[in-house]
Amino acid sequence: MISCTDFIPAYSELFKYLEGKGGKKAVVDFWNYLSDNFLGNLKSLVEKNGIRGCWMYWSHTLNEEAADFTMELDEDKGEFIITMHNCPSKGRFIKESHIEPYHDYCEHCDILYRRVLEPLGYEYAIDMSECDKAKCVAHVRIKGIEKNNDTQTDK
Amino acid sequence: MDRRASDNVYLHKDFHGALNAGIEYLHEHYGADAVRDYLRQFTIVYYAPLISRMKNEGLSALKEHFEKIYEIEGGGIKISFSEDELVIDVKVCPAVLHIWSQGYPVARLFLETTKTVNEALCEGTPFTAELIEYDEKTGRSVQRFYRSGA
Repeated sequence: MISCTDFIPAYSELFKYLEGKGGKKAVVDFWNYLSDNFLGNLKSLVEKNGIRGCWMYWSHTLNEEAADFTMELDEDKGEFIITMHNCPSKGRFIKESHIEPYHDYCEHCDILYRRVLEPLGYEYAIDMSECDKAKCVAHVRIKGIEKNNDTQTDK
Repeated sequence: MDRRASDNVYLHKDFHGALNAGIEYLHEHYGADAVRDYLRQFTIVYYAPLISRMKNEGLSALKEHFEKIYEIEGGGIKISFSEDELVIDVKVCPAVLHIWSQGYPVARLFLETTKTVNEALCEGTPFTAELIEYDEKTGRSVQRFYRSGA
């Protein structure tokens, strides 16, 4: 058995293996598959609870992953923000020098969640400019709500 | 919500489900050999420090590895150990148990996460791995490692 605590390097090596088989497209195809087949819990939580479903989903996963993060939910503004101060996955690659992560490792967080949330009526943006330091900011917003403006527009 | 890494224990069992999905995907799109190739490649790269310890310290390094992961994951194991042989009797596989509990089908080649990984751990060491028993429904298994030629 591969322990779930060793999953992150196994995941990264899977991305490398797939890229060796069919280039970046093979990796993205897998991310799309995983999003469609493995994130049903995020989808159902958001369908049932609206943007609060994001809070519920990531409260579970990020605590179990022992992440170092700040999570904010403003239901009036239709906004949910995760500020990742130290991503346990990327942080592990920084710490464990004998493993080299897949070159676009962090990109899976963009594709997997965007693919679930956008069809449900949300905008999903992730700032990965500091992902080499295991930091990122993910921002979910109800479509049709202007940035820095809490007036909802019907669309 | 503010959390520091030290606030929680790192144990996200849903990762078993994600690996299971990856194994099934690889099997479906690239064939059974790809599953084994990938798991072998992962094992040799990621467990390189463990393999190095097996070469230097013998089966005690592997025993420690298994004791640690089953202590973290739960699931009763019984270990029989000597310098030349390590037998691990896994009553219920925590990974298989979790995948079932979440309502996902277990990948057809999920046993390779035990069989291929164990075989790859022994590559280049004086030891051989053998999967004596494996129950696909529960992941119950008997895994044997022994000194080659013993």
